Amino acid sequence: MLYTELNLELTDEHQHLKEQVHRFSMEVLRPASLELDKLSAEEVVKKGSIYWDCMAKMYQNGYHTVLISDEYGGLGLDPLAVHIFWEELAYGSVGFAVSLGCSCFAAFYATMLADDRLIEKFVIPFVNCKDASVMSCWGITEPEHGSDNLAPRSSFFKDASLTQQVKAHKKNGEWVISGQKSAWISNGPVASNCALFLNLDPSKGLSGGGICLIDLHQDGITRGKPLEKMGQRELPQGEIFFDNVVCPEEYMIVDPESYEAMTELTLGHANATMGAYFTGLAQAAYDMTLQYCTERIQGGKRLCDHQWVQKKLFDMFVKVETARAFSRAAMIYNMNTTPPDVKYSIASKVYCTEAAFQVTSDAIQLFGGYGLSKEFPIEKLFRDARAGMIEDGSNDTLSMTAGNIIIKEKLGDE
Amino acid sequence: MSVFSNTETMYEVLGELFNALLRDPTAKEKFLESDIIIKFDIHDPAGQIWISNEDGGKVICGSTQLKPTIEMTLSGDSCHKFWLQELTMPVALAKGLIKAKGPMPKVIKLLPLLKPAYVAYPEIAKKHGLI
Repeated sequence: MLYTELNLELTDEHQHLKEQVHRFSMEVLRPASLELDKLSAEEVVKKGSIYWDCMAKMYQNGYHTVLISDEYGGLGLDPLAVHIFWEELAYGSVGFAVSLGCSCFAAFYATMLADDRLIEKFVIPFVNCKDASVMSCWGITEPEHGSDNLAPRSSFFKDASLTQQVKAHKKNGEWVISGQKSAWISNGPVASNCALFLNLDPSKGLSGGGICLIDLHQDGITRGKPLEKMGQRELPQGEIFFDNVVCPEEYMIVDPESYEAMTELTLGHANATMGAYFTGLAQAAYDMTLQYCTERIQGGKRLCDHQWVQKKLFDMFVKVETARAFSRAAMIYNMNTTPPDVKYSIASKVYCTEAAFQVTSDAIQLFGGYGLSKEFPIEKLFRDARAGMIEDGSNDTLSMTAGNIIIKEKLGDE
Repeated sequence: MSVFSNTETMYEVLGELFNALLRDPTAKEKFLESDIIIKFDIHDPAGQIWISNEDGGKVICGSTQLKPTIEMTLSGDSCHKFWLQELTMPVALAKGLIKAKGPMPKVIKLLPLLKPAYVAYPEIAKKHGLI
């Protein structure tokens, strides 16, 4: 049974989307994510694994194109529908939701430029793909730069002693790229292309960055071993190495002039999406716990008949509902406002990932010993939720970035 | 000093541009299909230009009572640079030179429709002595 919908203006299309994606997520993604959780990271990404089956099924449903305009053959969902879609997908598996979200990075940037060559290279093959062989990744994190890369307009962004480790220089009218992206690149081991954040002008520090769209099947690109990690094990992550890789000039879509602003715009959309993902995860943990509490007998009666348990379930319910209300509002506002107001996206990401962590932690407490066992999937949801407080920017650093924005807005250039 | 010396000149130049866009059969068909009303809220010089799907598509220079689907706020100079392709949409949006209100999917959907205007604008600007 789905949650009570508080938005009385939800259309039949929204409701249908919610039910359809929820069903798919529970029938396909949840069981697959539990199987993949038991495999090594290498086994997850191996051709023929159920990771690829699930991604192909999502591509066949057109799910990879939710952010691509119908002008190019995508689903082009409206902002509320986008939130509903990501929430329901993450209900079954947040790792698969993140993988699918990253898959459209290059194509999404290309549609923003509407340049025919970029559309031909990065959008059309992606939209037409049915087997997930055309997939993007967000190449931003580096061994020496994590969440700091997501703090544009901070004072250290212009410190020339701090630059991205992946750098590009011009040679014979083309860009030549060298350096390393870290093991935290989502889809790194499986992507066919990348929205690569890199340095073009070291004298400007991190603000001397650029963004290029790059084919990963070319000379000079190698990948590290897929990362073994605690949560979201169905999401492949891994290093990418660039050794004198040639990139055509037209694929360098952002230069230092607009790098900070584009990073902020990207963060605005990515963090808003994180809010939707972790609302879905929190709802899944709450539903699982509510069901368990109606079945499990302790102290001579069902758990749900204990007054403290009822109170605890209510606390979890409030966290899920506030996460949904806030993350929907932030996403709808920022998908209707360009440039987005990034502090709301950050607030949504931070709030929803922490709510999901608290809800899954409370869930384990209510499951008792079984919460710690592999017998129930709640321990996986707990591990998945924990990862959310670090991925897409650690919550601490993001909070400092948003706090800095709030003060700058109040004080202006003072 | 802005490129457009006054509001009337801006209306003349950009009005000619958008009317040329609506004369392009493909652009017009796609615009009418998209069922949107665009408002350009321009400053320096101040003015409003609307492209409406009413009456088979029309351009209105000045204020109206219509309700826009997408509202773009920008300066006359940014408008000029944008149509000359000296300013791309992502850079303009990212740097706050153009601010858009309205569903982003609809804004992105609009971009391919603008190609005939990119082609037409240099000639129009030249004719009016702006380049």
